[in-house]
Amino acid sequence: MSGWKIAILCCHYTNEASAEDMADIPARVEIKRFSCSGRIEVSDILKALEADAEAVLVAGCEKGSCHNHSGSLRAEKRVEAARKILEEIGMEPERIQMAFIPRLDTGAFVMAAKETFERLLDILPKGEITS
Amino acid sequence: MIIAERKPLTRILQMIAPFERVAIIGCRGCVAICSAGGDREVETVAAALRLARKRKGRPLQTIEETFVRQCDPEYLTPLETLKEKVEAVVSLACGVGVNLAADLYPDLKIYPGVDTSFYGSNPSLGQWEEKCRGCGDCIIDFTGGLCPIARCAKNLLNGPCGGSQGGKCEIRPDVPCVWHLIYERLKKRGELEKLTQIWPAKNWIPAGHGGPRQRVRPDLQFNNKK
Ligand code: SF4
Ligand code: SF4
Repeated sequence: MSGWKIAILCCHYTNEASAEDMADIPARVEIKRFSCSGRIEVSDILKALEADAEAVLVAGCEKGSCHNHSGSLRAEKRVEAARKILEEIGMEPERIQMAFIPRLDTGAFVMAAKETFERLLDILPKGEITS
Repeated sequence: MIIAERKPLTRILQMIAPFERVAIIGCRGCVAICSAGGDREVETVAAALRLARKRKGRPLQTIEETFVRQCDPEYLTPLETLKEKVEAVVSLACGVGVNLAADLYPDLKIYPGVDTSFYGSNPSLGQWEEKCRGCGDCIIDFTGGLCPIARCAKNLLNGPCGGSQGGKCEIRPDVPCVWHLIYERLKKRGELEKLTQIWPAKNWIPAGHGGPRQRVRPDLQFNNKK
């Protein structure tokens, strides 16, 4: 276990995966679901980092298949805005990742979480908790 | 509306560096409409400042509030109690709000969280364009409703200049030459003769050349509790 925490912010529709499905990832994974990924605000992403997540994955429906038409495209914009804020305050923008997940595809969801963890390995020395 | 833009976070962090308890206050007027200082931005700025400070090992506590307006004394009265709870306030209102709060609460350390940029319109989501510079002596009855002071890079009253090419201003190819637009507009309106009339000399005193500007309506100055 790295001792890191990864926060996943996603919509209710993307999938039904739980933290147990992420058992392979050597980090504590917290999933927070929203009514739509388009409802995820920049402040939600920042608050997840403030609550000691080392990285945040925002997951929305695959482009073109969003339950609410364009929620995940909105989410992508918010991710960009949150990344800019991280840059401004001297944090690595790669700590925030965006993934478009085919609906109900737990495999792709877990893969995106793994990739988020791997990006963290590039940023942080293994085992180091910076928060 | 008045268009503003959030200041760089590093700059706000400098302002509040000595403090541990800070209120971030937004305004539901222009800055909320132009997405610089409404409820959402208050939440975002507060979260960003807390995150930055937490990582520096100097945690910051924030109180987040958004007032109806910050340019009217009655809406600023919550500052009376707020100033007992925090060491400083970052206002996301335009400069008017910050000035008024500083006038009314001299012992309050209030800092600007936005740069007040211009008077503009909102032609599409996430985009704002300057349309007026508040010169105090509006002349756009001569120019088809298009302001050469705000929208001509040289503030010309007798454009277009030699840099006007194919309807574009010489400063950037994406900027229309407003004097070209004025000509086209007046032509369409059948008012081209306005360009051949001799206009009265423009009065620049109300543009701020006579010190801070004031407006008074005596008929409203009755039983004034402000
Ligand atoms: S002429 Fe003056 S008041 Fe009229 S639109 Fe231009 S800047 Fe504003
Ligand atoms: S090209 Fe037109 S808008 Fe640009 S400076 Fe000249 S007159 Fe003004």
